[in-house]
Amino acid sequence: MTLSQAPFIVIFAPLAAFLLLGAIAPLRRSGKAAAGLVILATAFSFEATVELLVHVLRGGRDLELSYRWIRVAGEPLAEVGLLVDGTSAPMAAVVGLVALCVQIYSLGYLGPEEHTKADIGRYYTWHALFVVAMQSLVLAPNLLQLFIGWELVGLCSYLLIGFYWERAYAGKAAVKAFWVNKFADSFLMLGLVVLWVDTQSFGWDLAGLPAFNVTTVGLLLLMGTVAKSAQVPLHIWLPDAMAGPTPVSALLHAATMVAAGVYLVLRGWPIFGGSEVTLTAMAWIGSITAITAAIFACLQDDLKKLLAYSTCSQLGYMVAALGAGGMAAGYFHLTTHAFFKALLFLGAGSVIHATHQQSMSRMGGLAKGMPVTFVLFAIGSAALVGLPPFAGFFSKELVLAELWHAGLTVPFLLCLLGAAVTGFYVTRALLRVFLLSGEHRMPAHAKGHESPWTMLLPMLALAVLTLGAGFFQADFTATVAAEQAFHFGGVGIAAMALALAGVTAGVLVHRLGALGVTGGTPMIEDRPLDAFYEWAYKARLLDYAAAIAWVDRYVVDGLMNLGAWWTLRAAELARRLQSGRISDYVWAVGMGMLAVMAYGLVYGLGA
Amino acid sequence: MSWVVFGGVAATMLTGAVQVARSDDLVHAIFWLAFTLVGTAAGFAMMQADLIAVLQVMLYTGGVVTLMLFSVLLTRRLDSARASVASVGTSSGLFVAIGFAVLVLPAVFTSALPDGTPAIADSAAVAESFLTRHLIAFEALSVLLLAAMIGAIVIARRKDWGGEW
Amino acid sequence: MVIPLSAWLTLAALMFACGLYAVLTRRNALALLLGVELMANAANLNLVAFGAAQGSYEGQVMALFGMALTVAEVAVGLAVVIQLYRRHKDIRIDAASELSG
Repeated sequence: MTLSQAPFIVIFAPLAAFLLLGAIAPLRRSGKAAAGLVILATAFSFEATVELLVHVLRGGRDLELSYRWIRVAGEPLAEVGLLVDGTSAPMAAVVGLVALCVQIYSLGYLGPEEHTKADIGRYYTWHALFVVAMQSLVLAPNLLQLFIGWELVGLCSYLLIGFYWERAYAGKAAVKAFWVNKFADSFLMLGLVVLWVDTQSFGWDLAGLPAFNVTTVGLLLLMGTVAKSAQVPLHIWLPDAMAGPTPVSALLHAATMVAAGVYLVLRGWPIFGGSEVTLTAMAWIGSITAITAAIFACLQDDLKKLLAYSTCSQLGYMVAALGAGGMAAGYFHLTTHAFFKALLFLGAGSVIHATHQQSMSRMGGLAKGMPVTFVLFAIGSAALVGLPPFAGFFSKELVLAELWHAGLTVPFLLCLLGAAVTGFYVTRALLRVFLLSGEHRMPAHAKGHESPWTMLLPMLALAVLTLGAGFFQADFTATVAAEQAFHFGGVGIAAMALALAGVTAGVLVHRLGALGVTGGTPMIEDRPLDAFYEWAYKARLLDYAAAIAWVDRYVVDGLMNLGAWWTLRAAELARRLQSGRISDYVWAVGMGMLAVMAYGLVYGLGA
Repeated sequence: MSWVVFGGVAATMLTGAVQVARSDDLVHAIFWLAFTLVGTAAGFAMMQADLIAVLQVMLYTGGVVTLMLFSVLLTRRLDSARASVASVGTSSGLFVAIGFAVLVLPAVFTSALPDGTPAIADSAAVAESFLTRHLIAFEALSVLLLAAMIGAIVIARRKDWGGEW
Repeated sequence: MVIPLSAWLTLAALMFACGLYAVLTRRNALALLLGVELMANAANLNLVAFGAAQGSYEGQVMALFGMALTVAEVAVGLAVVIQLYRRHKDIRIDAASELSG
């Protein structure tokens, strides 16, 4: 394909797959054929993104293909199209890669004994839609189209979290994710409106605007990020979102969709970076999230929920980095995190697939039965902790360096501490699942068997990237922003030290039973926060909806019914004209005659 | 002098008309109608329309009134002799009738009416104009009368007529 | 002295009004036909009066036509009344209200 065709292929290949599957029900219900179609489409899309990335890396000029849309008074309201530049090309490639890996993995994960062919078809249809939506978001030339993609990925999240719709918990989790994001998206929309009012466009170039306006727009848009990227206090939906299939958790809720919030900041960097207030807010929100979510991760028994809180925490790192003004740092961490977190989730999926349950207290010693999975999971874990030479080390160090150099001391310390806590919970997971044997914990039949190649191959690909991506950090930052590059300094050493301390603590605690903490830890979740949201938001919204319903029934319908009632009354009255009695009709003729005569008298007819 | 005669004629006609409208007994009403029609014939005679006057007496008073009487006899019921007021009501009827009069009379008195002497009665001339100037209308009228006759017979026939239709 | 035309017209108008009243208020079908008769005669009177005022026979000719028509109408009307009576056993015109809505 040529370069000018590539952007279209990115979107239209999966779009074609989605439309075909959506329209042709037999194709969708055929299971494997649907899966093959979507994987093929995603492969094409991914190849196109690679081509675009190569073009950008070689210093090619930005590609912008747009169509002016919705003309209002002669001026187009917005553009629809695709923008390929240094910011969007890497993300598009990441999305394409992880999506492809996850889709191939799903072939092996969604076993035929639990899933019908129609289920599988439905699953892949939503995946195709997701790729379209996410790429539209990434390649958006303005914030309006980004928002459209944003909402669509939210929809896909809802559809995929609730994939096992027969389970009540999945349905509730899907709805919860949707509500929380919708709540924040109202602020995001407000931000877009303010943006339009200020600049008459949805672009991110705010040159010449007073600082207050830039800050307002930035903070409003930031709300969207807080929900989508699961920052405290709107992170509550992400742990529950683990009700969806594990590949979905890997793709949407680790690598790509939750990263959309961070991507928003990257894309609209002139807005966010142009205001000190917004940056400071991001730094604080991010760092608080980083440490808080890490602590929660320590208290989880469910493997997926642990990884979910870990994702929250790492997203906090990204947001904090951006708050420190480090656009490249945040972006790079986004990229590496996509790789190793997806790898970790897929590894967890391997484990879950083998043991048919998710609770760590009932796992143990799986390294023997699943060696490949163990090694790959360990690679991902090392990257998450931030050990060299894995990519996570490079990106995390960059984040911390940014915070340090920006002089944001408290956020920096929080994030540094978070590195230690990260080491702790990651080690805990690794030990509990793979290493520590617990005959008393594990049921006899679930000894663990290795996963099929469809599952292992994508994990391998991601592991390779996890290993190698760190070395491309200089190229990355050069492409994304002409800013600082990695340098191994005091911050890096401090980070590593703390991470290792965390790891050691983890080993000590679990191996030797120090501090009296052994196998079963209570599952702590932020239920109070949920209850508060339910009272403040959901209940109020339902009250408002009830009021609107009342207005609709009695005022709107009431007016309609009044019109109908009047019509019937008028008909009743008019009915009396049709009495069937001759004298009445004669009388009517007589009155008509009088009327004509009167008219003639007044106007002098025939005078 | 003519005014006196006119007054008599007018009194006859109007009395009869009012009584036709108001009389409770149907047979009485029919006779009042005959009275009115005779008065009208007298009026025609005053206007030198002798032929019309005679025909009026023959056709109406002789024919139509007789027809009416026969119909009353054919449709007599014990309680139908009393012609009570119809659904329209006296006041509405009065309203229309008086309204009519109120609307027509101003037109009568404000228009420029022709005012000439009536032509001297000549029945032959009238008859001749029927057969020359108004021949087609005359023929059409005879067809109409034929149709009316046949129509009346058809409408009034019994179901069990026993004929061949 | 000749009676002015307006006098005749007034007389005819009043007779017409009486006939109109009869048609409107009388419940008996035959009485209604009597009212129609009155109206027709008033019209004939008008025709003859106008003709006489113009000094020609045309009024009489038209009145003769009118009379013939009225007679035909009475004949048919009476046939209808007889049929109405046979159907409803009642010649009050309110009885024939099948077309009521």
